[in-house]
Amino acid sequence: MVNINFTVNGKPYEISIDENMRLIDVLRDELGLIGTKEGCGEGECGACTIIMDGETVNSCLVMGFQADGSNIVTIEGLEKDGQLHPVQRAYMEAGAVQCGFCIPGMVLSTKALLDKNPSPSDEEIREGISGNLCRCTGYNKMLIATKKAIEYMKGE
Amino acid sequence: MKKRGIGVGLSFYGTGYGNGFPDISRAIVRLLPGGRIGIYCGVTEVGQGAKTAMIQIGAETLGVTEKDIDLIHEDTSLMPDSGTAAATRQTYNTGNAIKVACQNMREKLFEKAKVELGLNSTAGLALEKGEVVLSFFPQKRISFKRLSEIYKDETIEAEGEFVAQTTTMDPDTGQGAPYWPYTFNACAVEVEVDMNTGIVNLLRAVFAQDAGRAVNPHLLEGQMDGGFAMALGYTLFEDLKLENGVIKNNRFSKYLIPTAMDMIDVENIIIEDPENTAPYGAKGIGEPVMIPIAPAILNAIYNAIGIRITELPVTPEKLMKAIREAEVNN
Repeated sequence: MVNINFTVNGKPYEISIDENMRLIDVLRDELGLIGTKEGCGEGECGACTIIMDGETVNSCLVMGFQADGSNIVTIEGLEKDGQLHPVQRAYMEAGAVQCGFCIPGMVLSTKALLDKNPSPSDEEIREGISGNLCRCTGYNKMLIATKKAIEYMKGE
Repeated sequence: MKKRGIGVGLSFYGTGYGNGFPDISRAIVRLLPGGRIGIYCGVTEVGQGAKTAMIQIGAETLGVTEKDIDLIHEDTSLMPDSGTAAATRQTYNTGNAIKVACQNMREKLFEKAKVELGLNSTAGLALEKGEVVLSFFPQKRISFKRLSEIYKDETIEAEGEFVAQTTTMDPDTGQGAPYWPYTFNACAVEVEVDMNTGIVNLLRAVFAQDAGRAVNPHLLEGQMDGGFAMALGYTLFEDLKLENGVIKNNRFSKYLIPTAMDMIDVENIIIEDPENTAPYGAKGIGEPVMIPIAPAILNAIYNAIGIRITELPVTPEKLMKAIREAEVNN
C-alpha cells in the first residue's frame, strides 16, 4: 500500500492505495467517480481522458501513485453551482452526443484545448480531439459544439 | 504527384425485417398523476435518438409538448415488446405503434371528457396543449391533470400495435418484393490520390438522404455524419485480420478507425418525401446512411487514376500495388 495526497475536482484527498492500481481505478473504485470511462485500457481510445495538472492524460496509462501531489479534473468537476460547463452545454445543444461513452473524455479534451487555445482553427479543434475515438457521431457535431463553446466562454 | 477525381454512389434500402418475417411493435399509453402522459414501449435507445423521436411522435399525436411525456422503455417487465433496435425499423415500426396507441388514447380521453363535460357525444372534441376541448365551444374544456385527479383510482390507458406489411420472396427464383418501405440516398465525393504513397484524401463530400419526414433534422444529420465516418473507415482503413476465426488485430493500435482528423465536413441534404404508411411520413435511416459512401469513394478513385478497386479497404499498400501493376501493364 502507498499513501497519496492529491486534489480531484478541487477537493483534497489523502488515501491509501495498492501500488499496482491504475489512476482510472483509483478514480472509479476508490473515489466513486465513474464518469471516467474505460474503453480499450491501453491508451488508444481516449475514453478515460482526464485533466492532470492542466494536461490531458489517459488515466488507464497512469499509475495511481503517480497522481501524488497532482491536481486532477474529471468530468464530474466541470459543473459549477448546478450549471453545466460551457463545453458540456454546447455538446448537448449541438447534438454532439449519441451513445455517450466517449463523451466524458471528449468534453475534457475539448475543455483542455480551449483552456490553452481559446480560439482554435477547425484543424486545431480536429487535432485537439483526435486522441478520442467516437464511433457514432462522425465528429462533425463536436466541431460545431466546440465553436459554440468558444462563443459561450467569450461571453463569460 | 497527386490526382483528383469525383465519384457518386447511390443506394436504396429496404427497412424492417422484410421477407415476410413477423415485424411487430407495440406500445401502451397511460394517463399519469398530474396529467402527464406515460408511453410504455420496448423501444431501445442506443444513441441513435429513438427516445427523442418517439416522444416527439407521441407529443404530436396527443397535442402536448415533449416535456409532458414520460417514455418508459428498456424494461421488459413494464412494457410490451417492440422488437429490436435493428433493421432501420424503430422510427417507422415503433413510431407507428406509438402513434396508434396515442390515437386510441385520444378516444379514451374523449370518452372521459364527454362524461365530465356533460356532452352528448365525443364528436367535435380535440386535444390542445394538455386539454380536451370542444372545438366549436371552447369554453367546454377539461385538462389532462383534472381528468387524472377525477380518475385517480382508475387506469386510463390505451394500447397500440403496428404490424409491418412484407411479403416472402419466391424461394426458387429469388424474386419478389421483400421490403417496404424503401429509403433512398446519394453521395458524391471528391478525392485526391497521392500516386507516390497510395494515400487517398477526401476533399469534399455531399450526402443526400431521403427520410420520408425528418422527425428531428438535427439528430438525422448526426446519423448521416456517423454513417459517413463509419463507411469512410471501412473503405479506407479498417482491415480485420482473421486467422482460424480469431481476430489478429483486435486493438485500436492495429485496427484503425477514423479520428476527427480523418473526417471532413459533410454537406448533408435531407430529402423529405413522406411515406403514407409511416408515422407522419417518417422512415428510418440508421443503416442506409453507410451504404453509398464506399461506392462514391471507389468511383472517385477510378475517376482520378483510372483504376478500379474491387476489394476493401483501400489501404495505401493495396492502392500502391494496383498503381504499380497498372504501370507495368501499360
